[in-house]
Amino acid sequence: MVYQQQLRFSTRGRGTSDISREVSDVIHNSGIRQGICQVFIHHTSASLILCENADPTVRTDLETFMKKVVPDGDTMFQHTDEGPDDMPAHVRSVLTQGTLSIPVNDGRDTLGTWQGIYLWEHRTHPHNRRVTVTVMGE
Amino acid sequence: MVYQDTLQLADRGKGAYEITDLVADFISESGIRTGTCQLYMHSSSAALLICDTADDATKSQTASFLAQLAPSSADMDIRINDGMEAIPDNMRTVLTQTSLGIPVSNGKPGIGIWQGVFLWEQSADAAERKLTITVTGEK
Repeated sequence: MVYQQQLRFSTRGRGTSDISREVSDVIHNSGIRQGICQVFIHHTSASLILCENADPTVRTDLETFMKKVVPDGDTMFQHTDEGPDDMPAHVRSVLTQGTLSIPVNDGRDTLGTWQGIYLWEHRTHPHNRRVTVTVMGE
Repeated sequence: MVYQDTLQLADRGKGAYEITDLVADFISESGIRTGTCQLYMHSSSAALLICDTADDATKSQTASFLAQLAPSSADMDIRINDGMEAIPDNMRTVLTQTSLGIPVSNGKPGIGIWQGVFLWEQSADAAERKLTITVTGEK
């Protein structure tokens, strides 16, 4: 069977938000015991990552790393209509994930103990972001 | 149910080619209304990406960024072994995706209005490419 649900998140600007609980609730709602859960973000300037959830400085460090790899306001970028973070947000999205697939077992996500699902907002201003969760299985 | 096929795509040279319509047609053909669609590229030097479709500059600038990060051997000021010319093409592919999953909602690709699915050919001298599309779900 298939169960699909849309989720909406309001971000506070650049940074990561833990959405593991919301995804896990969709799996619970689906009633599916064994299968796959697909998480998809409907944007190209925000993305999804699986990341360690014990120490928040891991995500701060990832942010620092990304700022270095894809600097805001880099003069090589021409797509800057919406500001110096516009094109870097698209590149950051390409370098991370727009879709995640997670196994479902025993009616739950099978994330590792120290794994969390994060929505990574790459724009510096707050945005409303849409995510579709599809659970398929038996 | 599951609907799957492997398509042969002609080589069109280095660049990003939108395949959203091809994917939408395949989903429609499958008859599946709700589920997922998985795209898989049988190559290590061609990627699958979801990109912004509002401004073409987004794609060209992403390409410039990746070219700077993993420059083609011709642009690199180092000596590399014969036969290693394709490594930067592989690097750019590894940094992106070769397998892409999207939701299927109401018999269509459930993607955002500014999102498009692109095949991103990284190699200047590729042969034709194989793409397997698998749609799984319910009618």
